[in-house]
Amino acid sequence: MATTYGIIVCDGTRCINSGARTLTLALQEQLDRHGLRDRVTISLSGCLGMCDKGPILVVNPGYTIYGNVTEADIPEIVEEHLVHRRPLARLAIQEDHLYNRFFRVFGDENFFGKQMRIALRNCGIIDPENLDDYLSLRGFEALAKVLTELTPEQVVAEVEKSGLRGRGGAGFPTGLKWKFTAAQKATPKYVICNADEGDPGAFMDRSAIEGDPHTVVEGMAIGGYAVGASKGIVYIRAEYPLAIRRITKAIEDARAHGLLGENILGSDFSFDIEIRLGAGAFVCGEETALIHSIEGARGMPRPRPPYPSVQGLFGRPTLINNVETWANIPVVLLDGANWFRTVGTENSKGTKVFALAGKVVNTGLIEVPMGTTLREIIYEVGGGIPDGKKFKAVQTGGPSGGCLPEGYLDTSIDYDSLARAGSIMGSGGMIVIDEDSCMVDIAKFFLEFTQNESCGKCTPCREGTKRMLEILVRITEGKGQPGDIEKLERLGDTIQKASLCGLGQSAPNPVLSTIKNFREEYEEHIHEKRCRARACTNLVTYEITEKCVGCGACRRVCPVGAITGAAKKLHVIDQDKCVKCGMCFNACKFDAIVKV
Amino acid sequence: MPTPLDLIKKKRAEAVSRIIGKGYLSTKRVYVGMATCEIAAGSKDVMEVFQKAISLGLTDVYLSQKGCAGRCNLEPTVEVIESGKSPVKYGKVDKDRAIQIIERHLKNGQVIQEWVID
Amino acid sequence: MDNSKITITINNQPYKVDPGQTVMQAADQCGYRIPRLCYHPKLSIEGACRVCIVQIEGVRNYVASCAYPVADGMKIHTNTKELRRARRDIVELLLDNHPMDCHTCDRDSNCELQRLAYSMGIRQRHFEGERKHYEIDLSSTSVIRDPDKCILCGRCVRMCSEIQGVHCLTQAHRGFNTVVMPAYNLPFAETVCTTCGQCINVCPTASFVEKNYTQDLFEKLNDPDLITVAQVAPSVRAAIGEGFGLPPGRNMEGQIAATLRHMGFNYVFDTQFSADLTIMEEASEFLERVQSKGPLPLITSCSSAWMKYLEQFYPDLIENISTAKSPMSMASAMIKTYFAEKIKVDPKKILSVAFMCCTAKKYEAARPELEVRGMRTTDIVITTRELAWMAKSAGIDFVNIKPEKFDEPLGLSSGAGAIFGVTGGVMEAAIRTAYELYTGETLIDIELNDIRGFKGIKEAKVVLDGQELRLAVAHGLGNAHEVLEMVRKDRSRFHFVEVMGCPGGCIGGGGQPYATANSIPLDEECLRLRAQALYGLDREKTIRRSHENPDVQRLYKEFLGRPLSEKSHELLHTHYKTHLPKGIVSPNLKVV
Repeated sequence: MATTYGIIVCDGTRCINSGARTLTLALQEQLDRHGLRDRVTISLSGCLGMCDKGPILVVNPGYTIYGNVTEADIPEIVEEHLVHRRPLARLAIQEDHLYNRFFRVFGDENFFGKQMRIALRNCGIIDPENLDDYLSLRGFEALAKVLTELTPEQVVAEVEKSGLRGRGGAGFPTGLKWKFTAAQKATPKYVICNADEGDPGAFMDRSAIEGDPHTVVEGMAIGGYAVGASKGIVYIRAEYPLAIRRITKAIEDARAHGLLGENILGSDFSFDIEIRLGAGAFVCGEETALIHSIEGARGMPRPRPPYPSVQGLFGRPTLINNVETWANIPVVLLDGANWFRTVGTENSKGTKVFALAGKVVNTGLIEVPMGTTLREIIYEVGGGIPDGKKFKAVQTGGPSGGCLPEGYLDTSIDYDSLARAGSIMGSGGMIVIDEDSCMVDIAKFFLEFTQNESCGKCTPCREGTKRMLEILVRITEGKGQPGDIEKLERLGDTIQKASLCGLGQSAPNPVLSTIKNFREEYEEHIHEKRCRARACTNLVTYEITEKCVGCGACRRVCPVGAITGAAKKLHVIDQDKCVKCGMCFNACKFDAIVKV
Repeated sequence: MPTPLDLIKKKRAEAVSRIIGKGYLSTKRVYVGMATCEIAAGSKDVMEVFQKAISLGLTDVYLSQKGCAGRCNLEPTVEVIESGKSPVKYGKVDKDRAIQIIERHLKNGQVIQEWVID
Repeated sequence: MDNSKITITINNQPYKVDPGQTVMQAADQCGYRIPRLCYHPKLSIEGACRVCIVQIEGVRNYVASCAYPVADGMKIHTNTKELRRARRDIVELLLDNHPMDCHTCDRDSNCELQRLAYSMGIRQRHFEGERKHYEIDLSSTSVIRDPDKCILCGRCVRMCSEIQGVHCLTQAHRGFNTVVMPAYNLPFAETVCTTCGQCINVCPTASFVEKNYTQDLFEKLNDPDLITVAQVAPSVRAAIGEGFGLPPGRNMEGQIAATLRHMGFNYVFDTQFSADLTIMEEASEFLERVQSKGPLPLITSCSSAWMKYLEQFYPDLIENISTAKSPMSMASAMIKTYFAEKIKVDPKKILSVAFMCCTAKKYEAARPELEVRGMRTTDIVITTRELAWMAKSAGIDFVNIKPEKFDEPLGLSSGAGAIFGVTGGVMEAAIRTAYELYTGETLIDIELNDIRGFKGIKEAKVVLDGQELRLAVAHGLGNAHEVLEMVRKDRSRFHFVEVMGCPGGCIGGGGQPYATANSIPLDEECLRLRAQALYGLDREKTIRRSHENPDVQRLYKEFLGRPLSEKSHELLHTHYKTHLPKGIVSPNLKVV
C-alpha cells in the first residue's frame, strides 16, 4: 500500500502572522497537481513551540520539521519529499528541543509562564502507558546517541559539565557521583532509582512516574552505560500502585522494543531493570537504608564512608539517584550540557519540581528554573494567598526543612541560598502558611512524623526527637515552662550534629527554624499561654459575641453542656466546662462564635 | 550496520505512523488526566463517559490519557486539541460537564468558556 | 616501615599512625580512650550509640570514630566543650528511657551504662519524659530478656547473627517503640534461641541475664533431708577468679571445692571425671563407626546450644551425632545411680547440682530425653557468675580459702578431661584415647597443635594404623554452620567433627564472669589466658589420657561393664530429634 502522509501546519499565533494560513492552500493545490490528495492529510495544530523558526510544517511519518516555510517552498516540498520520498535538507530543522514544549501548547500562561518543564516535559502531553508517544517525542534518542557516539567517560563528563545536582534533597553533584562509581573496579555494579518519596504530602516523584515513566527508564540505562552497570533497580514505595503499574509497563514495553535487555539497539550494552517495593518506612528513602531494604535486611542506615558508589548494594559499587535526577538525564545528553548550564544559577543548574501546597490559590505541581524567587512562585505562579489572608511563612523541604517568614520571600530558589536562609531545598515540598496556622503546631506536626519514622538505631534521633516532641506537645497544650525553648535548642543542636543519617540530622530543622524566625509565638505559648493563630486547641477560648440571635444551635451540639441561654437571648459558654472541641463554632450560622 | 541512532530514528518514525494510524490526525484530540490525583478527583468516570460516547458513534475523536499536568486544585482536567484552533483545557470536569463538553464542544464546536482554565 | 605511616593530629598533637584504620583504633594506639558503647572489635561496625563521636576539622557534623577512616592530614578533636556536652546529652537520653533501679539490678557496680553515666558527669536530668515499658520474658530456662533495660546498642543482634549465625534477635518497630526482640515477639522458649547466652556476655546492661537459680539452691542447701552433690566444669575453674577481681587464667579448682563444702554441699565432684567417661564412650563409638562404616562423620554433642542449633537447622545430620551424653549429664546420671548405690541413698533424696560456665546447660538439664529411670538427673545448673555471687552472698572468702580436693569416686580426672573446656579439646582428648583403643599403642605426641588456637575452623589429619582420619573443629555456631555445609556437600570430607557452640569453646560460655571496667566482653586475650589455664592443668597432671583414669576404669569394672554396653547405653547415651520453631522449615523435610 502506498505511504500515507500527514502534514501538520502550525497554526499558532506567530506562525499565522508569518503567513501559515496561505501554506495550507498552497499545499492543497500542489497535492492536487500530483494526484496525492487522498493519500495526504493536512491538519492544523496549536503552537508547536518553535515560534522563532515559523511558519512550521511537520511531515509525518518521519517527523520532519520544516522551518521558515514560505509559499514558494511548497512545490519543492511536495515534489521532493512526498513524491520522491527525499526530505528537503535545506529547510529541515535538525533540532527540536525536548523542553518547554508544554505551556506553549496548552496556554494557561499565568500558571505556566514562569515555569520551564525539563523533568516534567512530557507529563500531561503523552499517554504514559504508550511507549509510542514517548518515542514520537524523541524518546530514547538520548540513549541511542550515547550508545552511538559517546564513550562512558564522555557521558560522565557531560553530566559533570551540566552542573546537575541530586534532586532528592542533598544536592550532591550528580556528575561527581557518576565519576566515583565509574572509577570503581569491583563488579557487578548497580544503578538504583530512589522512588521512595516519603515526605508527607510530597508527590513530585509520583507524578513524574505516573506522567512519564519512560524518561526514568532511559535515564537509568544511560547511567548504567556511563558507570558500567548492567542491572538497575527501581525502589518505589508500595503506596504508589498506579505509578508502580505504569513503570512496570514502561519497562516491559522498553524490553519488547529492544530498548532494555541484551544488546540494546544492536550495541553490545546490556541493561535491565527490576522493580522493588518499599514497605512503608520513610527512613528507606535514605540511600544506605534503601540498599539494606533491597538486600532483605532491616531498613536502617549505616555510617558512611564507605559511600554507596564504592560499597553499596551487596557490597558493590552502586549509583543511586532520585527520580527527578534521572528524568533530567536524557535532556542533558540530547540538548547538551552547555544548554543545560544556561538554565538556573551559578551553582544550581537546571530546574526543580515543587509540589506547591497549602494556603495558595493555585496548588499544584510546578517546575521552575533555579533562581526563581519564592515571591514569584507564591504570588505569580501560585496566585497568592486566598481569602484575603496574610502570608506568614513558607515551608520548604518537608520534615527536613525549615520555615521562612516574609523577609525571605526574595530568596532565590537554589541549594545554597535556601541553606543560607535556614531551610533546605529538599525534594521539593513547598507549603505556604497563612496567619491562621500556628508555627509551633507545624513544628510539632513535622517532628511527630520524624519521631514515628525514626529507624531507632541511633540514640540522638530515637530518644532525642521523642524528648523534643514531648516538650512541643507540652507547649501546645499550654503547659510550657520557662527554659523549654533553650532545651529545644540544645537538644536540636545535638541531634543535628550527632545523628547517624540525614533523617536525624535534619529532624530538628522545622523546630529550630521556627524558633529562630517565630520565637515570639513560642514565647506567647509558654509565658502567656496564648496561640495567636488560634490553632492550638488548649490555648483557644471560644466566646459568643453579640451577633448571637439565641437560636440555640450551639447549645444543642455541645457535648458537655457548657452553653446556656434562653431562646432568642444571648447564649454563654461556661469556660470551666468547655473542652474546646469547636462543635459550637461549626454549628453557628451567624458567625457569632469567635476563637480568642 | 545501522547504528543505535539510526535504529531509534526508525523506531520513532514507526511509532509516529502507529499513532497516526490510531487517528492522531483526527480533527479533535481529547486527553483525560489519569494520574492518581486526577483519579481521586473522579477522572475515571469522566474517561468512561468519553469512551461510551465513542462506542456509541462519536467520530473523529482521538481519545487518550495523560499524566499529571500540575493543576492539582482544578482536577479532573480534560484537554481538547483541535486542528486549527488553540488548545482548550477544561478544569473540574465531572460526568455532567463531560457530557456537555461532548455535546457542545465536540459535536457543535462550542468552547464552554466558563470551565476553561486560562 | 615508617614511610607508610600517615600523620594525623589528635587534640592538636601530631601522631604518626598506620593508614587503613578507624579514628577510634588510631586514637586507642595513641593513648586516647574515646568513650564508646555499641562498638565491639569482634562485631561489625554499627555506629549506633553516637557516644564515640569526635569532631574532625572540615567536617560539619560529628562523626562516629568507630566508623570513620583516618586519612593523612586529618585533624581530630576528641574532647572539645561541644563534644563533651553532646556526649553527656546522648548518655542522658539513654538514661531517660531506662529504669532507675540500679541498686536492685543484676549489673549494679558492673554495668557499662553506669560507668558511662559516671564518666559523662550526668548529675541532673534535663529531658525526662515517657519511659518505655515492656513485659519481661521469663519463659526460657536459661536467659531472661528485659527490654526495659535495653539501650539498643545492637550488640546482641550482631552477636547472635554475625558470630552465632542464629539470627534470633533483631530490632523491630520504629521511633520510640523500637525494641530488640525475637521474630513474632515470641517468648524466648519458643524461638530459635539456642540458649548459648552470648547475648548475656555482650550486653552492656542487665537487658539479658541468666535465669538465676541461686535462691532455690540456697534453700535446698539448708534442707537436712537432701544429700547435695556438686559437679564443677573445667572452664569454671579457669575463669571464676575474674569474678573476684583476679586476672584471668588462674586455676582455682581447689578454692571452688572448698567453697562448695563451706556452703553446705555434702559431696563435690569434678565434671572433668565424666569428661573422661565421655571420651571412653565417644571414642569407642567413633571406632565402631569407622570399622563398621557407620554414619560418618561423627559429630560431637556435648555442647547443648549446639544441639539445639542442630535440631532446628540441620536435622538431616542427626544420624551423625554422637549419642553420648555431655559430661555434665553423664556425671549426673552416675551420681543418681552408681554413686547413690555406693552410699546407699535413695536417688530421689539426692540434689544434683552442676556448676557450669554455660547457660545452655540449664536448658539441657531440663530435657526430658536425659531422664534416667524416670528421674531428672541434673536438678540445678549454676553458672560461674552465679557461683561467684553465691560465695560473696554466703560470706565465704573465696580468694583466700584453703584449697581442697574433689571427692571420690567421681573426682579424679586426666589432663584430657581438663582440656574439654577449650575449642579443640574434646577432639584432642578423643584422639588420645581412640588411637590407643584402635592401635593398642600409646600416642606419644598428645598435644595436637593443629586443632588448638582460636581460628574459626581448624582442620587436621591423623593416621590411625595406616588409615588417614580427617578431623575438623569449629567453635561458635556461625563456624559450625560453615562446617556443616561442607559436611552436607560431602559426607566423606571429614571423619570426626567437634563443634562447640561458643566462641573459644566453653571457656567463652554464656555463664562466665562479665568483663570488668578495664576489659571488653569476649576479649581474645582473656580467652587465651583461660585456655592456657586448662592446657597448663593438662600438663601438670601425670595422667593425661582418659582411658588411663583409674576411677574411670573402676567405674566400668564395678558398674557399667564396658563402653557402649547395654547399661552404658541406658545411662550414658541419649537421642535427638527435629525441632522446628515457628518460621523454620527444615530443608530436607517435606512441608505437609
